[in-house]
Amino acid sequence: MDWIIPAVNLKLILPEIVVCLFAILILVTDPFLSKERKIWSAHLSWIAVVIAFIANIRLWNLQEATFTNMFLVDNYATFFKFIFLAGSFLIILISMSYLKREEILHGEYFSLILFSTLGMMLLASGFDLVVIFLGLEIMSVSLYVLAGFKRSDLASNEASLKYFLMGAFATGFLLYGIVMIYGSVGSTNLGQIINHITSNDAGSNLLIWAGAGLLLVGFGFKIASVPFHMWVPDVYQGAPTPITAFISAGPKAAGFAALLRVFLFSFTTIKMDWTMIVWIMAALTMSVGNIVALAQSDIKRMLAYSSIAHAGYVLVALVAGGETGVSSALFYLLAYTFMNIGAFTVVIALGRKGQDNTKLEDYSGLGSRSPILAILMTIFLFSLAGFPPTAGFMAKFYVFGSAVKSGFTGLVIIGVLNSLISVYYYLRIVVLMFMQAPVTRTDNERIKVAFCAILVLIISTWAVLQMGIFPQSLLSLAQASVSSIF
Amino acid sequence: MLTGVSEAVYYILAAIIIGSGVMVVSMKNIFHSALFLVLCFFGVAGIYILLSAEFIAAVQVLIYVGAITILMIFAIMLTARLYSAQIKQSNEQVVPGLIIVSALLVITIFALSKTTWKLSSQAPETQTVAEIGKLLMTTYVLPFEIVSVVLLSALIGAIVIARRD
Amino acid sequence: MNFPILSLMTFIPLLGMVVILFTKEGQDKLVRYLAAFFTFIPLVLSFILLSRYQGSTSQIQFVEKFDWIPSLGITYFMGADGLSVPMLFLTALLGFLSVIYSFGDIKEKVKQYFAFLLLLEVGMMGVFSALDFFLFYIFWEIVLVPMYFLIGIWGHGRKEYSAIKFFLYTLFGSLFMLIGILALYFNVEPHTLNIMVLIEKTPLLTRSFQLLTFAAFFVAFAVKVPIFPFHTWLPDAHVDAPTAVSVILAGILLKMGTYGFLRISYPMFPQGAMYFAIPIAILALINIVYGALVCMAQKDLKKMIAYSSVSHMGYCMLGIAAVTVTGISGCVFQMVSHGLITGALFLLVGVLYERAHTREIGAFGGLWIKLPVYSGLMILFCLGSLGLPGMSGFISEFMVFIGSYPAFKVIVPLAVIGVVITAAYFLRMIQAMFLGTFNTKWEGLSEISAREIFTVVPLAILMIGIGVFPSPLANMIKATVENIVHLAVR
Repeated sequence: MDWIIPAVNLKLILPEIVVCLFAILILVTDPFLSKERKIWSAHLSWIAVVIAFIANIRLWNLQEATFTNMFLVDNYATFFKFIFLAGSFLIILISMSYLKREEILHGEYFSLILFSTLGMMLLASGFDLVVIFLGLEIMSVSLYVLAGFKRSDLASNEASLKYFLMGAFATGFLLYGIVMIYGSVGSTNLGQIINHITSNDAGSNLLIWAGAGLLLVGFGFKIASVPFHMWVPDVYQGAPTPITAFISAGPKAAGFAALLRVFLFSFTTIKMDWTMIVWIMAALTMSVGNIVALAQSDIKRMLAYSSIAHAGYVLVALVAGGETGVSSALFYLLAYTFMNIGAFTVVIALGRKGQDNTKLEDYSGLGSRSPILAILMTIFLFSLAGFPPTAGFMAKFYVFGSAVKSGFTGLVIIGVLNSLISVYYYLRIVVLMFMQAPVTRTDNERIKVAFCAILVLIISTWAVLQMGIFPQSLLSLAQASVSSIF
Repeated sequence: MLTGVSEAVYYILAAIIIGSGVMVVSMKNIFHSALFLVLCFFGVAGIYILLSAEFIAAVQVLIYVGAITILMIFAIMLTARLYSAQIKQSNEQVVPGLIIVSALLVITIFALSKTTWKLSSQAPETQTVAEIGKLLMTTYVLPFEIVSVVLLSALIGAIVIARRD
Repeated sequence: MNFPILSLMTFIPLLGMVVILFTKEGQDKLVRYLAAFFTFIPLVLSFILLSRYQGSTSQIQFVEKFDWIPSLGITYFMGADGLSVPMLFLTALLGFLSVIYSFGDIKEKVKQYFAFLLLLEVGMMGVFSALDFFLFYIFWEIVLVPMYFLIGIWGHGRKEYSAIKFFLYTLFGSLFMLIGILALYFNVEPHTLNIMVLIEKTPLLTRSFQLLTFAAFFVAFAVKVPIFPFHTWLPDAHVDAPTAVSVILAGILLKMGTYGFLRISYPMFPQGAMYFAIPIAILALINIVYGALVCMAQKDLKKMIAYSSVSHMGYCMLGIAAVTVTGISGCVFQMVSHGLITGALFLLVGVLYERAHTREIGAFGGLWIKLPVYSGLMILFCLGSLGLPGMSGFISEFMVFIGSYPAFKVIVPLAVIGVVITAAYFLRMIQAMFLGTFNTKWEGLSEISAREIFTVVPLAILMIGIGVFPSPLANMIKATVENIVHLAVR
């Protein structure tokens, strides 16, 4: 038997290796840490993320595949890994004080976060549907557990179970879709799929169609687009708040990473054919997310629906397609990561042990109780609403611009009307914070914000303003990420 | 293509799979459902053998029948409420479900019948175990490694959820 | 020009805002003086602007241009011409005066109030000097935020409702502008957001594209002006806003709408200007007459003045719709004059409300006896507003009518009815409040203070000054207006 060991370039996969090894390291060292020292697991995890980030910087401008063409490093993947690592870094920081407060500080938490990050990175770099699928699995399995990490809390359990069931469904769809594509192409490698589709008349090959449709369903679950969004509100509400922030930032971006890679790069020659479906999905996702968010009385639920709506905006970029479309999606996801994590950090800061304080009324009078938190929250909310001069505006401007460029003005009109609706519910919180006296709260004690959370707030505020006022550097980064592909 | 005999076997297996599959979702007693699941998995294993994928067939029996369903049966028997058949097994949304499934069925059949399948001209491998092993260590080494991470994280997850504080 | 006067005027208030935010809580007096200082500098600069401005040419002056986001072709491009210079001056003046007025008016959360007021000035200055669409849009939107807070926190009555209504209405309009901007951006080669370059290129675009984009921009500006039927936010916002904010709202924010028409819509889409001339003139007529009629029915003084703004802005639109030099000059005159007069009227209403805690016209009577100075000022501005010759309102309305009559031979005579109704409601109000028997309930009312007089006197001087010597303003805007007309009838 001949054993041809494929050439493997470990340098390319270094960030992934770092994250994975540290995750295991945490598992190994955690049992030896005394209860007071458990926080060291957290420190290890953010150190891992930082090292991976640095390793990732060194991969910038590299375009190389390894592992028999299954793992591709290009600027697109590298950019997404920056988003994931930045998101995970911030989440780890805000988790520390939260876990301490809730007395669930265990090392596995951080290990699972790292595993989940690893999954996302594989999703971005996967150039083979099998790798993409497995990446998705690592990410999701970790998230199912993390969503139920507050084991004494029934809502958290429910979130975990719901997430798991719906996620399992999505996995089934995805796998079935992959199988169908394999059946008609004879390979799961994206490169070969591209070749097959461009060389053959793919339009007549219904199996590819069915496969693509099922993939869309599978990814649709992960990015929480309508009509596959049913799990979002309960999971977001029930999960521990840092995990809610995590789910809405990284995994969503990762779902988009794979979705954009598969649809815009592999199915690009049949783009006109699936665009209509995604068009409808985008319009529905934006509208349902925003309209239902209007009626929410819990901020986590509201942000859940808002995150659905934001997935819709990114889908607009997918509809637009092309170089500007993809780079605008990248920029949007980057901006969304920061503003969303920022907003959730404020949500966490307001909580108390066993008392999350996530009702909207809990925000009344925050402007006088803690002016700085209220101002920061306002910045994040304005950014989420897409208001200049914040990152959210720049991102929306870019996404809608790319859609107008591709001639989807109708969708853009739906999009801007949706932003208008969204302004209403974001502003409602601002109204509560600044224009109403605290009513429901009896304890007006000062809100203490942990050092790490302050750090997260500073970073996200800086990012939101930087990307809003001087976006050039990050814009050109996003543009450079896609130029190598088109 | 399949020869006459194997074609007949194929249809018998398919009937077993579909029939037991229907029974799984329609049985009143959840324990009986689990037993029909075993039958269903055996049918699938039969199909693998028919496709000369003996290794996969063996794995199918070992893992799905031997591990997963047995685990499920354990779970059912150890959970008194589940075993007592008091739990309602029927679904409120049979009719919409049926409609959607039938639509999917029609689409799938349509798609499958229209597809030109990519057929390999080579004869089926006889040494499947060795061949799979080789592939897992060479071409598919990355997915192989990743799977271990998937399992690891699932394991930790199970521990986290089941652990006593 | 090397001296970045426009940027300084725009961003000095921002600096002031930051400084104010860093003051200690409770130092209200310091905050007030800081706010006055940081609005006084732009006022001084605006005088320099006025004196340095070359009225003989329609060229953009005081240009500052830098690359900002090169990969999207976005530049930081500021400049001023005969259209923006008067507006910038008006902004600086009213900004300063409203800060002075707020000294006594605002007693709660003083620090935040003045911070927002300064931020508001940043946005307004920026709108009037930005010549890059992206920059323009950002300033346009920035204005909303402080306005929203100012109404929502320091307002009266249903303040949250009014604030959010204002916000959503305006945002609704500006989002259409955003689509218009994006459409323009991608339909012009090379892609640019430079307003001046776009003005040169857009007439080459297809007629249907021009009409659509004109419509998109129309919604944005019409909400701001406001043009019927987009006007319903205005009475709510005006009535519930604190006095100084009403002043800015009426004096400057509404002008952003007409400014947008003159700066963008008309020069950029001549086809649209032509196609929509009659509909816009009809809407302007509705504004004039309907606004005036609603004024007749008002019992609340502030609401009446709010609706009188609707009516007065109708004249502006009528002048614009005609696309003649005289008509548009009249419009610019009206923009300035309405800013001065209505600003002063709101200030004076605020003065009375602060003392009497009611704004009901019927509740007063014979105030002339008790408050001669106040009544004198109020009557002066009312006369100015109803267009008494010798004051700026007369000049502008007269020019609008003269300029638009050739274009709309039926609409203009009908619009003159508005002038009559305006006179009627103002005179009725004067009679009810200041003449007749004195209502002894108001025995304790104190006379207008020196600081309050200080805030309205400059407005009165300018109002009469423009009324008597319109030529300095006319010369300043002449070349620019001619250029606009020239561009709009391509």
